[in-house]
Amino acid sequence: MNEQNPTTLRMRLMFATSGPLAYVSVLDLGRLWERALRRAAIPLRYSLGFNPRPKMQFAAPLPTGCGSEAEWLDIWLTEPCEPAAIATALAGTLPPDLHVIEITWVPEDAPALSELMRAVTYRVLLRDVVAAELETACAALLKEENVLRVKRGRRRHQHYDLRQLIETLSVTPALEPWTVALEMRLKAQAGATGRPDEVLSALGLADIPRRCTRTGLFLSSPAEAPDL
Amino acid sequence: MESMTHNQLLNTNTPDPASNLRRPISWETIETLLHRVQKPGRYVGGEFNAVHKPWDAVTTRICLAFPDLYDLGMSNFALQILYDILNRREDILAERTYLPAPDMIAAMRQGNMPLYALESYHPVAAFDILAISTAYEQLFTNTLELLDLAGLPIRAADRDARHPLIVGGGHGAFNPEPMCDFFDIFIIGEAEEVILELVERFSQTRTLSREAQLQALLGIEGLYIPRFYRADYTVANAFAGITPLLPEVPVPVRRRIVGTLPPTPIHQIVPNIETTHDRGIIEIQRGCTHGCRFCQAGIITRPVRERPAEEIIQDVFAIAAATGYSEIGFLSLSSADHTEIETLLQTLQQQCSGLHLGFSLPSLRIDAFSVALAEGLTGSRKSGFTFAPEAATEALRRCINKEIHTEDLLTIAEEVFKRGWRTLKLYFMIGLPGETDEDILAIADLAHELRRIGVRFGGRKTEIHVSISTFVPKPQTAFQWEALADADTIARRQALLFQNLRGRGFKVSWNKYPGTSIEALLTRGDRRLNAIIERAWQLGARFDAWDEWWNLDAWEQALTELAPESFGSVEALREYFMYRERSENEVFPWDHLLSGVERRFLLQDAQRSRAGEFLSDCRGICHACGILHHYANHRGAEWRCPLPKSSKPATNQQTTGNENQL
Repeated sequence: MNEQNPTTLRMRLMFATSGPLAYVSVLDLGRLWERALRRAAIPLRYSLGFNPRPKMQFAAPLPTGCGSEAEWLDIWLTEPCEPAAIATALAGTLPPDLHVIEITWVPEDAPALSELMRAVTYRVLLRDVVAAELETACAALLKEENVLRVKRGRRRHQHYDLRQLIETLSVTPALEPWTVALEMRLKAQAGATGRPDEVLSALGLADIPRRCTRTGLFLSSPAEAPDL
Repeated sequence: MESMTHNQLLNTNTPDPASNLRRPISWETIETLLHRVQKPGRYVGGEFNAVHKPWDAVTTRICLAFPDLYDLGMSNFALQILYDILNRREDILAERTYLPAPDMIAAMRQGNMPLYALESYHPVAAFDILAISTAYEQLFTNTLELLDLAGLPIRAADRDARHPLIVGGGHGAFNPEPMCDFFDIFIIGEAEEVILELVERFSQTRTLSREAQLQALLGIEGLYIPRFYRADYTVANAFAGITPLLPEVPVPVRRRIVGTLPPTPIHQIVPNIETTHDRGIIEIQRGCTHGCRFCQAGIITRPVRERPAEEIIQDVFAIAAATGYSEIGFLSLSSADHTEIETLLQTLQQQCSGLHLGFSLPSLRIDAFSVALAEGLTGSRKSGFTFAPEAATEALRRCINKEIHTEDLLTIAEEVFKRGWRTLKLYFMIGLPGETDEDILAIADLAHELRRIGVRFGGRKTEIHVSISTFVPKPQTAFQWEALADADTIARRQALLFQNLRGRGFKVSWNKYPGTSIEALLTRGDRRLNAIIERAWQLGARFDAWDEWWNLDAWEQALTELAPESFGSVEALREYFMYRERSENEVFPWDHLLSGVERRFLLQDAQRSRAGEFLSDCRGICHACGILHHYANHRGAEWRCPLPKSSKPATNQQTTGNENQL
């Protein structure tokens, strides 16, 4: 855990999202947090200039369609606050499917979480998929040296190698109504971030109903990483 | 391919046609569709301030629907007001639904999933009442799509007491005749005044047939129940009038109004995804005293009722605390007219400093006062300053009663550019009564003149955005007798404008004529259009306001198939509804629906228009439109109608004396 530093104006919130909130974009999530913090009257630090925004940083953008068991958000304040006081103020101002797990002090000069990101784990629950067949498909995918896929959101068709972004991939049992859970650990660094829906597409599961949850974020420096 | 309705897909051939539409849909089931659609956040609910009540703990359940995308529907303030009023009652539950985008509609139909409400995920068909906004004509085909996606028969005659009561309301309800076969009831006027009466009376009629339920509602003022009226036509197929079929049926149905604006909803629902108007809303004023002759809203929302500044300030802080919004939009038809607007904004600027709370003011007038107001709003320079002169020549402005003079407009533009705005947006209408090519060229000349002024004060980056819409004659206005300009005229005038507005610093946008012509057809239509709307929908017409989805071919085919029956040809139908100038004695399909503004007044105003006469803002002098006569007993302290000259207090007695002030 971070050292207790009651004078810092930077706080780290660990939170979880589920249900309907899994279906908002990362921009929506930022707006949603800003409004929740404003409702709680947390003294947010705003940027200067024409269109002031509160200073906030997520560790890694959460893909639309994914809930999360452990997201990190750094916020900057204008006056020091006790984590417990923030937690109390936030009670009752959060949307139904947003939960705060932990709030800690962070030194102002600590590196941005996004710079420390290394990998992300996801659990994807699937229906109507037979475990043995999925295991075979995963093994085949992991055996490939390259899995080229088209980058999204570019005008020209550029390709990237999805295989290099997959660190682990495994199949575990799941409860009704799901038949299997696909567990994966994907690289998450600047310019090299794996997306779970891309893995599903590569496995031929693009059209299969799923529930996707981010289960963990992994940082490069253990000193900076809150326990998972 | 679309001939099979969702009803048939849902296989409702059981003794109770809606039995499989009663239970809530599970989250897991909804989730099976979401990975396949764009912006899934539209379909999941879960917003802060949404009201969740136990289904079985209330006696009446109402679903409020806006028949277009969530992004638009969430910005409709009327539904927020009703949601607030209804959910304040312990015995009532109100939830929301919107029309999903085509990709989600397809996924739902494929998955046999009916339309559901966003709070409890109950199918829309499980509610007692389904209230659908009929705010404007482009929502009409979407309304049929919404009913069908809900698994409901689209025609009222095919529904019974096991189905929700289908209620319409909004500005479009001031001529609801083209949609009267699909709705059970239209609320004429301000629904917040009627809705609880409607719900209470309806909840006492549960054991009755639908016909008997509707008869029980006949005594409520402001409800129009189309099935109790018959439309007649002449041998020449002209509309001849509406006849009530029962002795207790009201003629005319008079608009309901609130005397004083009801309290602002404070706990406004905060969407999780970005919506069209993503901000808190306070209605600072209802109604407008300018009397622009093309404007339907200006007639059907009279009289002007202000919200006191003190109340607005309280609302600002309450809404900011309850929602976390960093912007509050002030809603009104003419913001600068609010008598306390200047002190209101000054007070807010003082009290909100450091809170990062901004305000937006729609519909400012073209005057120095409005420029000064806009200057005080943070961030307003980004989006440009907006002028809506509507017409570029003095003669045409006299015709539409927009009292602005070109030299004043230029002086005010100078102020705008001096104070740092670089973009000026201009709104004009073309196809106005009596318009000539010179009027069009004058738009181009004015835009060039304004750009020269802009360049002088702000440099060559100055941009003039000209937005052109085609004038559509609207029911319940002084222009309801006018003809729509035909396609050739509009095409020629648009081309004329583009030829003269080329080059750097100009941006021109316009409404496509085919879409405008559908709006024009529907807005002054009669009951014979129900079949055409239904057919167009069957053939795939929906999202008529969306360039990427709307379907002109479906409309053309529906007209080709059905026009001959009543009109001989499509051309004859268009001539009848759109291109024909009506005579003074025309019987309109909406004559039995009274806004409170008298037809006599509108006709006089139409004559003034032809004579090129302005009619002054009615704050100063009452022009006897009929409002004070009809609503004398409603008069509240915040009305901006002039007080009658007689010494009697206006609230106690009929104020017919006031009618004669002119």
